[in-house]
Amino acid sequence: MAGSDTVSVKNLTKSFFDPNGKKAIIFENVTFNLPAGAVLRLSGASGSGKTTFMNVLSALTKPDSGSVFFGGTDVTRLKEGEKDRFRAENIGYIFQTFNLLSPFSVIENVYAPLAFAGRLPQDFKEKALISLQKVGMESFAAQKPYHLSVGQKQRVAIARVLFADPKIILADEPTASLDKNSSELVKNTLLELNKNGTTLVLTSHDPIFDDIRHDIDFNLETGALS
Amino acid sequence: MKYVFILKAVFHSISHRKFSVFTSIFAISAAFAFLAAIGCVSFGLAATAVNSSLSFPLVVGPAGASDTTLVMSTLFNTDKPAGTLDYEFAEKLASDERVSAVFPIARSDSYQGVPITGVESAYINEISKGFWDIDPMIDAKDIFGGKNSDCAVIGAKAAMRYDMSVWDTFFGSHGTVGDEDAHVHDFKYKVCAILKPLNGPEDFAIFTSLKSVWEIHRHGHHQHHHEDAEDEEHDHEHHEAEDEEHDHEHHEAEHEEHEHHHEHGEESAYGKITAVLVKTKNPVFTAALEREYSENGFTSATDTGRTVRKLLTYMNKAEKAAGFFSYGTLFLVMILVFVTILTSINERKREMALMRTLGIGRFPISLMIFLELFIISIAGIVIGTLGGHALLAFCKPAIDFELGINLEPFFFTEVEIRGIILTLAAGIFLSTAAMIKIYRTNLVEEIARE
Repeated sequence: MAGSDTVSVKNLTKSFFDPNGKKAIIFENVTFNLPAGAVLRLSGASGSGKTTFMNVLSALTKPDSGSVFFGGTDVTRLKEGEKDRFRAENIGYIFQTFNLLSPFSVIENVYAPLAFAGRLPQDFKEKALISLQKVGMESFAAQKPYHLSVGQKQRVAIARVLFADPKIILADEPTASLDKNSSELVKNTLLELNKNGTTLVLTSHDPIFDDIRHDIDFNLETGALS
Repeated sequence: MKYVFILKAVFHSISHRKFSVFTSIFAISAAFAFLAAIGCVSFGLAATAVNSSLSFPLVVGPAGASDTTLVMSTLFNTDKPAGTLDYEFAEKLASDERVSAVFPIARSDSYQGVPITGVESAYINEISKGFWDIDPMIDAKDIFGGKNSDCAVIGAKAAMRYDMSVWDTFFGSHGTVGDEDAHVHDFKYKVCAILKPLNGPEDFAIFTSLKSVWEIHRHGHHQHHHEDAEDEEHDHEHHEAEDEEHDHEHHEAEHEEHEHHHEHGEESAYGKITAVLVKTKNPVFTAALEREYSENGFTSATDTGRTVRKLLTYMNKAEKAAGFFSYGTLFLVMILVFVTILTSINERKREMALMRTLGIGRFPISLMIFLELFIISIAGIVIGTLGGHALLAFCKPAIDFELGINLEPFFFTEVEIRGIILTLAAGIFLSTAAMIKIYRTNLVEEIARE
């Protein structure tokens, strides 16, 4: 029996139709259990479907068939509003393009997802500052994202994840455009979170992650699961 | 907090599209300012017309005068009178037991475009709400009495425009403004009183005694006869002989009558009048008198209330036509705003998809789009309506002064209120349509498809 925070993927299949109308399978009948605090590494060439797999895991994209259970709930069958709540409460997304919300300041970007979900903690500003402090960005709290460098933006994205303290982090090429120092910071933060029990789903071509311990490696290109 | 964030995102989005947002708000505002202007001008004209028609329920003039001419040439001082009547006719009318008062008037000259109308003191007492200034030697209740036949009572706006004060003197011109054959009489008027504003056409008028009008015309005719005889060197040096002839054509109707008197040597103590304003004892008598004096073949009469209502109906039609034009403009503007918002949604799909990945629900995102369009509509309505009325308030003195329209700058007409309701409804409808569109779009898959 899987634990309450275990991610259980059962017979997950996703395909798409190419421009010629031909059906192409991205992954088929994938089944595995990812216990809380485990690391799932997604590998494969660009375009092999790593991001799509992450989107299915986080209930952003519907699979053709199969289920993704989290805490006993099949998230693929949730209603749209429930999926939004599920993501807000459990998922932390780190993209290679940082994806900060331009209307908001750095600190607001940190707590915006929880603010929109209506579940901000009481001392949210202090907590957001602490998260920024952990990535060395507290002095930029009042700045707007367009004032920041690429590395600084990714640090803010990491601070956002730290603040939300999600159960699962989906890191999609998180160091793709970062310098060595920023990459190290991202890696160390992810590892620290993972050490504290956060499940990590990672896809990266950056050799910096080569030595990272992983519990499952799913190669989307070959479909091999190890 | 959730809604603070939503509003913040909305205002950020609005401030990042300054040009298109400004254009949209400006277009809506302009349409609303136009609606406000239509409403206020139309209301001002209507109020003036109704006020004027309430004082005198019946106008009797010479035969052949249309209802509109009778009303416009007497109550509004804008039309030329259709001819003349004997003053004795007014006396006869006054003796009718159905009549409570008569006010004979004689449209005469003008001063710088301001019509000069010959009236009796009773008329001034009837219309006056007091005087701004009056010659202390004059009896305010009988302003043209005694030897005061050269007295002129000036309407408030006419006095302001031509900077006229009590004891000033001026000469009237025969003919209307712009007439090449208009010429200045050597009859000197003396300003005896300045009326307080009446918010009607009387504000832009000059009143003098009937006697002075008759005197001018007698003098004028003597002069014309003299000129005809000598055929040279008359007072109006700038007039050529042909012009003079032309001048006579204009006043043929009046002159004929005078000539008739001269030929027969029957100089009457009274002269001609151009109409009689009548107060009746009750509305039934108004209808009966109107019928009687329209059918006798010598005079024509009109119920001022009915004629003004008829004029108002035309005005109302014009207001409605202008209103529909504005609604059409508003509709096009709203479509433009909607298309602008949809374009902006397409440009921002990525950001919205990102919000979804962060757990921000479809509802807050859709609500943002709804609010963006709604805020633009509201801003347009508020700025246009308030701005339009404020502008009217600012221009009120000038409009009042130049056009004689007594504007009510903060009056909201039905056309305007309907415009607000329709635009709000269109704003809500279009905002909801945009909201549903974004709600139904699977943003993540849209992005994935790119």
